[in-house]
Amino acid sequence: MVAPLLIAIPFLAAFAVPLFSLISKRISYYIPALALFANLVISLVLIPRVMSETIVVSIGGFPPPFCINLVVGPVGLLLAIIISLIGLLVSIYGVNYIKEGPKDKYHMLLLALLAGATGMVLTGDIFNLFVFFEILSLASYALTAYNRDRAGTEAAIKYLIQGSIGSAFILIGIAFLYGMFGTLSMADIASKVGGADPGFLFVSLALLITGFGIEAAIFPLNAWLPDAHSSAPSSVSAILSGIAIETGAYAVARILYTVFDSDGIMLLIAVVGLITLLIGEMSAFRQREDIKRLLAYSSIGQMGLILFAFGIATRAGVFAALFQLLNHMLAKSLLFLAVGYMIYRVGSKKLSAFSGLGKRMPVSSFVATIAVFSLVGLPPFAGFMSKFSVVRAALALKDPMFLWFVVLMLIATVIEAGYFFRIIQNLFFKSGNSLEEVKEAPLSCLVPISVLAALILIIGVYPQLVSGILDAAAQGLVERTAYIQYVLGVP
Amino acid sequence: MEALYSNMYYVGAGALILVGLYIILVKSNLIKVIIGIHLLDTGVNVLLVAVGYIKGGTAPIFTRTSLAPTQFVDPIPQALVLTAIVIGVGVLALALSIVVKLYENYGTLDVRKIKGLKW
Amino acid sequence: MIMVSILLIAFVGAGGTCLVGRGNPRFRGLVASLVAFLPLIILAFLYGRVISIDYASVPFLDIGLSLRLTPLSWFFGIAIAALGGLAIVFSISYMQGKERLNYYYSMMLLVNASMLGIVLSGDFLSFYIFWEIMSWSTYLLISYRGKQALGAGLKYIIMSIIGSSAMLLAIGSLYISYGTLEIPSLATALQGASAWYALFVLLMFTIAFGIKNAILPLHTWLPDAHSEAVSPFSAILSGILVRMGLYGLFLLMFSVLGLNTLNRLSYGAISFNLVLSWVGALTILFPIFIAVLQDDAKRLIAWSSIGHGGYMILGIGVATTLGIAGGLFHALNYAICVALLFLAVGAVEYRTGTRDLNKLGGLMKRMPITFTGALIGSMGLIGIPLTNGFISKWLIYKTLILSRYPFLAFAALIGTWGTVLYGYKLVHNVFLGQLPEQYKEIEEVPWTMRVPMIVLSGFVVLFGVLPGIPLKAISVIQTHLGMTRLETSLFGMPKAIGELNTLNIFFALLVAGLIAYAAFSASRRSRRVSQYDNYAAGARVPVGGYQHSVRFYDQADRIIRPYLRDRIDDFYGWIATQSTAFFEQLRKIYTGNINTYATWIVLFVAVLIFMGLLGWRI
Repeated sequence: MVAPLLIAIPFLAAFAVPLFSLISKRISYYIPALALFANLVISLVLIPRVMSETIVVSIGGFPPPFCINLVVGPVGLLLAIIISLIGLLVSIYGVNYIKEGPKDKYHMLLLALLAGATGMVLTGDIFNLFVFFEILSLASYALTAYNRDRAGTEAAIKYLIQGSIGSAFILIGIAFLYGMFGTLSMADIASKVGGADPGFLFVSLALLITGFGIEAAIFPLNAWLPDAHSSAPSSVSAILSGIAIETGAYAVARILYTVFDSDGIMLLIAVVGLITLLIGEMSAFRQREDIKRLLAYSSIGQMGLILFAFGIATRAGVFAALFQLLNHMLAKSLLFLAVGYMIYRVGSKKLSAFSGLGKRMPVSSFVATIAVFSLVGLPPFAGFMSKFSVVRAALALKDPMFLWFVVLMLIATVIEAGYFFRIIQNLFFKSGNSLEEVKEAPLSCLVPISVLAALILIIGVYPQLVSGILDAAAQGLVERTAYIQYVLGVP
Repeated sequence: MEALYSNMYYVGAGALILVGLYIILVKSNLIKVIIGIHLLDTGVNVLLVAVGYIKGGTAPIFTRTSLAPTQFVDPIPQALVLTAIVIGVGVLALALSIVVKLYENYGTLDVRKIKGLKW
Repeated sequence: MIMVSILLIAFVGAGGTCLVGRGNPRFRGLVASLVAFLPLIILAFLYGRVISIDYASVPFLDIGLSLRLTPLSWFFGIAIAALGGLAIVFSISYMQGKERLNYYYSMMLLVNASMLGIVLSGDFLSFYIFWEIMSWSTYLLISYRGKQALGAGLKYIIMSIIGSSAMLLAIGSLYISYGTLEIPSLATALQGASAWYALFVLLMFTIAFGIKNAILPLHTWLPDAHSEAVSPFSAILSGILVRMGLYGLFLLMFSVLGLNTLNRLSYGAISFNLVLSWVGALTILFPIFIAVLQDDAKRLIAWSSIGHGGYMILGIGVATTLGIAGGLFHALNYAICVALLFLAVGAVEYRTGTRDLNKLGGLMKRMPITFTGALIGSMGLIGIPLTNGFISKWLIYKTLILSRYPFLAFAALIGTWGTVLYGYKLVHNVFLGQLPEQYKEIEEVPWTMRVPMIVLSGFVVLFGVLPGIPLKAISVIQTHLGMTRLETSLFGMPKAIGELNTLNIFFALLVAGLIAYAAFSASRRSRRVSQYDNYAAGARVPVGGYQHSVRFYDQADRIIRPYLRDRIDDFYGWIATQSTAFFEQLRKIYTGNINTYATWIVLFVAVLIFMGLLGWRI
């Protein structure tokens, strides 16, 4: 019964933060790190158990499907591990980085966001998924507006409006599902999907995909993303880009693969993913003003790639998608964290202001370069292995259409290389700005980003480290009958 | 007409949802847009309750021993709606407080003028 | 184990040099040279051996990564290690006092290490991994100087990534089709492939290798990158790094696909090899004459580098025993000569601070060793007898004539004329003519820069007089690949192929030289004058301003320049501008208006639901 702790610890800690801050402000800022460290340890300890058998936790004493249940499978656990890891690193970073405003509220909201994300990936109940999703969303709206400046509030309200439309759609979809099946357990719905009215089923799927697709930044539902990611404080951007949108993608995948057995819509998902990829990369290419906005567009592109891989709809495709998801989480949160301090030191978000920063902030620039190489997909960094997996999965279909899709995907990679390499040149090989005053980022920034960079390098050189759990996770997503059996206990 | 009448709750919910969406899509005042969001939420809540409704049913509370379980309306949607209402209120409060800050920053609530972030 | 140790030394050494440099900068150059030369020594002992070893496995792809030493990889590996080492030695003085030296040395070593990795790869996944490491480390080194180098570096990496994307597509497809990426097993598997599939794989790889080897429509990155890089790195870049493309093409054509499959790739009279040969010929023709027009010494050599790549492509495109030998030998010879030239130009730049051909001149007396190096280098390029270039060009001409390609032979010949023109221009404008006033006090470069030039010049002459040494290695390659092998003797080719004996040439030249010397000494008409006592048709020579070398080949320049604009580069530039303009328009969809955004969301749902109504089912 340790699995519920993964959600309970961050929640309790979230409420503990304001309480502790009454006693000592300084101590309360370290609560998130402690809580997430506990989470990380618990989730790592759970790996051997989960790899052998999915853990199903029923809450309230009723057996599934009559209760809210948590399903700790390889997918959920994998994502929970990364969420707590990145959360831990970001909260270490945040202790020093967040200097103004109601700091205890920041740490509280951060924990709430992470609790919501963890809940989303672990829950087995579709309404519960919605609730956790709302917790995540509410926390991210508020965190986006944390600085209370022009950009922050504008981004937050735009994010909020689009997010609310999305959650209304999700709720309508859930209402339809409940009306059809009279149950909210995802496994139970999944077992009954075959006999339902296909028209209603399609409509509810469309609504759910749209709702979660807004968080997953599917084109054309992603207009909030560049605004929110570029205007939030950088530590929040790291969380939004490194955790929030990925959990959205997880929800989409879970709904597509497990809840609905939706083969017919997969091609659409692949195409939409590809469009998202191309548009994200193209917009990022032209973004010369605001480096965080550039990174945000690049996130859109990466999410498109992940979605494309999900749309391949084979086990290899899902494996590739999850691998890419993992690498994007690591690399993009690293980039946002590193860029956060660069912006803080330089005092400008402009790309041109970063010229020659590589000499002043060598470590940050160096690890940022590693993240960039990984995102572009250059060996020996983690991104290469996942990109190769995507190519392999797409070509394995032996469908000429998917060959062309891969060509488009590679064109997007070239565009991506175009803008990312420009940044690297800016950092290291340009000079001109007077940056004498600029110092290297403090240890509270360097340690988290170095850990992430080390992970990127290790996974790139030794992909076996994660390929086992990724493969199990892909299996867990694709093989829905096994999921249904685990949860409902039907042989 | 008869069909419309018998599905009155669904029609009402649908109408609320559509009105809410219309306001969000068309109105340029942020406060109105937020009202639209809330109408949308309300419509969805009504829809949820309507899903669990049984004609002539009663609240799922054992007040009289003569009540058969089949006479109860489905309690789950109501529980869901309670949650959804709470979430809706949270979102509304947050939205309004952000709008206050936004007004302080921009001096307007016209979405056509609040375009500091684009491209 | 020994192969893993080579790569370990190379890669760990690259990082280690950085650490040593941080600790004590004085040992940096020494350690870097050691790291660069150790693989050379190890490789030298492995001559003629074939070793295969699995060093890692990727369980989720169900394939192993392996290293494989063949005579082909030995041949290229030796060249990489030797040139890399010499360039590093050259750098010790050349780079003295420049900034970020730790970075520079470790990147140089990383480029070397990754190239060694490429030639030692036994499967295409390792090949690709090392290939990409090479690409990005090269990019980081090209950009090292900043300013104009930034554009060059960006152009390089973009084209490089386009190439490697094409390669990734082919590798992915091979992996899906045959479930393996091991080169020997692919070689067997591809024998049964359909011609279309083989052509697809070949074309995709050719894009990647063609971009690296700068064959004609894919060459545009090279002139910028080579001229903007630091000179020792230009030597590596032009000498051996671009030839990785040739290595890859060779590996794919003869080791993986094999001659039988290649012969199947034809439509009537047009075959892949013929097209490749013609591309090679065009690559000789245009760039060599563009080289004649250049005023920047390094840019001149860069264009020549493209042109001479054409000879190699021509050689392996014709794909006879003689042609392959010629192509490979020319790759080696060209690597030596061009590295020598880049180092010489680098030495001149080190002392004078410029590489503008219009501002230099008369340095022959001041920098005799550099002059000798440059002279021998250009003679090698031109292919004057008793230099190595003569032998390889002879082989290629012979191939083209024997295989009855008169037009290709003519193109190759014209290319040599061009080489004569720019080779002369380079040597003349830098070393001959009048010495500009400000360079009067210039001295020869330090010994660490002289030694690499002397060694390289020595090899130019050595392989020119004793071509049997490298040709033996090449015939071992041919034996290993199962082709007819080239019969050679130490001094050249036996009669069966068409006799070539450098010994005869040597004695003929010796006798002719003696006669000429005797004639000149007997007549006693010549007299030694000061370098400033130039002949100026009776006019007074203005101090400092008088040079022969401004606007060299002015007439020819005016005639051919209009025909030789690099329209391909313009075309790529046009594509880049157009697509950026398109991206600019495209990103306007993020209008900033929340109503629009909401409309998209609702439209998305509406379209999906509408499709559902039309009968689309999950």
